Amino acid sequence: MNNKTAALTSVRDSGGVMQRLLNNKLLLFITLASLMVIPIMVGDDYVYHIFITICLFAGLSTAWNIVGGYAGQLSLGHAIYYGIGAYTGMLMLNAGVSPWISMFVGAVLAAGVAVAISYPCFKLHGPFYALASIAFLEVFHVISLNWVGLTGGANGVMVPLELGWSTMIFSERLPSLVIVFGLMLFVLAVSWVIRRSKLGFQLVATRERESAARGAAIRTVHVRLYAAAISAGLTAMLGTFHGSYLTYIEPESAFNLTFSIQIVLFALVGGLGTVFGPLYGTILLVPITELARGWLGSSAIGLHGFVYGVVLVLVVLFMPDGIMSIFQRYLPSSKGRRVAARDERSTHHAHLNDVKKPERPPVGEVVLKVKHLDKHFGGLHVTNDVSFDLHKGEVLGIIGPNGAGKTTVFNMISGFLSADSGSVEVLDENGHFISPKTPGAFARSGVGRTFQIVQPFAAMTVEENIMVGAFYRFSSVEESRKVAREIAHELGLSRFLDEEARNLPIGGLKRLEVARVMAMRPRILLLDEVMAGINPADLREAIELIKVIRDSGISIIAIEHVMQAVMELSDRVIVISSGEILAQGEPEEVVKNEAVIEAYLGKEVTDASTE
Amino acid sequence: MDLLFSLLINGLMLGSLYAMISVGLTLIFGITKVINFAHGEFMMIGMMLTYIITTYLGIHPYLTLVFVVPLLFLLGIVVQKYLIEPLKDSDEHIQIFATVGLSIAMINLVLMLAGSNNFNTPASGLRETLGLGAATVLTGQIVIMLCSICMVVGLHLFLSKTQMGRAIRATAQNRNAAQLMGINVSRINMVTFGIGIACVGIAAVLLSPLYPVNAQTGQSFVLIAFVIVVMGGLGSIAGAFYAALIIGLVDAFAGFYLGSSLKDVAVFGIFLLVLIFRPSGLFGKARKLAHVS
Repeated sequence: MNNKTAALTSVRDSGGVMQRLLNNKLLLFITLASLMVIPIMVGDDYVYHIFITICLFAGLSTAWNIVGGYAGQLSLGHAIYYGIGAYTGMLMLNAGVSPWISMFVGAVLAAGVAVAISYPCFKLHGPFYALASIAFLEVFHVISLNWVGLTGGANGVMVPLELGWSTMIFSERLPSLVIVFGLMLFVLAVSWVIRRSKLGFQLVATRERESAARGAAIRTVHVRLYAAAISAGLTAMLGTFHGSYLTYIEPESAFNLTFSIQIVLFALVGGLGTVFGPLYGTILLVPITELARGWLGSSAIGLHGFVYGVVLVLVVLFMPDGIMSIFQRYLPSSKGRRVAARDERSTHHAHLNDVKKPERPPVGEVVLKVKHLDKHFGGLHVTNDVSFDLHKGEVLGIIGPNGAGKTTVFNMISGFLSADSGSVEVLDENGHFISPKTPGAFARSGVGRTFQIVQPFAAMTVEENIMVGAFYRFSSVEESRKVAREIAHELGLSRFLDEEARNLPIGGLKRLEVARVMAMRPRILLLDEVMAGINPADLREAIELIKVIRDSGISIIAIEHVMQAVMELSDRVIVISSGEILAQGEPEEVVKNEAVIEAYLGKEVTDASTE
Repeated sequence: MDLLFSLLINGLMLGSLYAMISVGLTLIFGITKVINFAHGEFMMIGMMLTYIITTYLGIHPYLTLVFVVPLLFLLGIVVQKYLIEPLKDSDEHIQIFATVGLSIAMINLVLMLAGSNNFNTPASGLRETLGLGAATVLTGQIVIMLCSICMVVGLHLFLSKTQMGRAIRATAQNRNAAQLMGINVSRINMVTFGIGIACVGIAAVLLSPLYPVNAQTGQSFVLIAFVIVVMGGLGSIAGAFYAALIIGLVDAFAGFYLGSSLKDVAVFGIFLLVLIFRPSGLFGKARKLAHVS
């Protein structure tokens, strides 16, 4: 369960006032401009150095944030990519190649390494991923120490001091500042674009809830690899610059754990997963420690590390969401849109009732064939020879006692579990039956599902949650947003559009599950207990809603305990008990079946009813 | 043959040293579910204390156990109470940052106070060599080996035979259920953290006469300790002990055949393979699943 809060994802134009201000072009412009203007006005070499350091770390931190913040992969080994960039630049410069070219060579190399490292590690979470990244960093460190022929070992690599733009080596500081400032802007721009793009939404969704993300046809491994590659490439470019700036590089400083942690620290202080958090975090922290070092001189060995450590501890204790969240806390959030949404809500009920319901189309051809599914969990035979068909436009109810294996069947017909034997065939858009294997493949073949235990992307707003589903069909953020709003409106979620999913009541979350999967416009909809725990008024609405969905030609399989809904909606009912199909047929028929009553209520009750 | 025997003995000696450092780390993870990135720094502090007390009072290094172990136990309790406990409902990575921050602060505090100098605790006869067949070992190493076995057995008995130990295991297996059974989980967490840090304190005292200490000493050992703890299955004390012996042997053999500079590649290579293919550890069983659900 992921507990990130507001600042993580709500950096959007619809966030709080201060958030808007922080995103406000004017404030950003002033901040960025002052990074150039202040050192030029002061003109002191040391001040230049501080500002170059700020731009460097702001860039590194922002690049890290793409994989660490958006994708939630806590890499403590980002110095690997910095080191690769730095070494590539230095070695190629010694071979007469300008850093302007080697920068891109380093970026490509680093991206390749990032993919190679991340691919086997993608299933590791939290501390395990962090440990793996440290181990990789250590391996690179040792290799760079020992591959003397390439890296010069512990002696490091130096470059001849040939000044000029082509070598990126200058006697003055201003040109270096201009270059690193430009690089930082580039990294910020990339990060900004990603956060607002389909990829950004998919990364955050994957971070928040991987299984739901897979259900929404997101290629969770791919998107993380993209993020890792982009992040590593940008980091390497900054590394190449820094190598030229220092004119010297050695393993100890290039592949350094503390350096990696610093990059992460700035992002954390600013606000993980926010676009501009890392920038503000760096601007806040670097000058403090650099100035302290300047004042206290070399006697203060360890001082800046100590400050960083203490700041890190204080930040996690008192403002784990970073600077971006602090401002937000003291300012009222924007009310305008919510009021508008409420108006929309009052018309919503009218909308449901007024709409002339289309005639229900007749039940059509078979769209899903389930054949002889079998599944064991250890010694438990949870699914025993389950077979059934689903027809177009049909509602198939699945009922059965708790623990009968209903959700297991669902997991097998949506790819989350693979069956021991048996097959699931789905009619694809071209009229061929195919056998998808993974959740993503099922989603792409038109099977959408909800989860019994709701799986919202907790830190995303309702609108964003639904957009993640809509991205399956649209690449454009605007189109997805439009579709998401329409669906939210249909499902009575309009008033919650800007609310984070974690704040929704259970009924709302159930509706959100349906909304997200409807946004993918599935042809087969699997509903896992969407009616459970909602109040009677909402139940009426939910039943009507499912009828509307059915009448639009979507085939539905619903696991349900609420008998009112089962009886009213189902064309056919399958009763599963102890992993087997106990009975099937029309709802009225099935509920009178003795075996069914016995499975639900026990033998004595059956006897009692027959007497 | 003599060479192999000698490497084997050296590996086992090194392994038991690693075991002493790792059991506390794995105990803390097993119960509090927090990976203590500052574990090595607690050891470094322990070694510094041993050095200071030994040279100041002029006593045998082993006698400092009386001071160092209780002090580190208290330090552990304080850290758990004021740093880890308040974050118990936070995200995993917030908890990682908390101990990472603590580690950085501790290293640099020592750097500020003591610089980057090496401090040598008096050997007090513990660096005498002993012939053991073809191998030679130091008396101090023999003590470490015996103590690490005692420590593992002692912890095992404590966890399985005492009421407190049972409460600790119950908390590890299901925090909520333990709470419902009337166990004060935050107190258990504090005690566990204290014990884990006290264990590394014992390791620090025994280690001090054999190794010099500086501000960075903890870092070089803690990475190995992570490797061991993950290999042994996070939270498993016996697993950590076996994994420590394995890593000790890998260390000794790789150090001889690959050279001391490249042996880390072997150690971390093994670590990465374990992480990727057997994240529940070489000896990890279903136990980890209980934590996940």
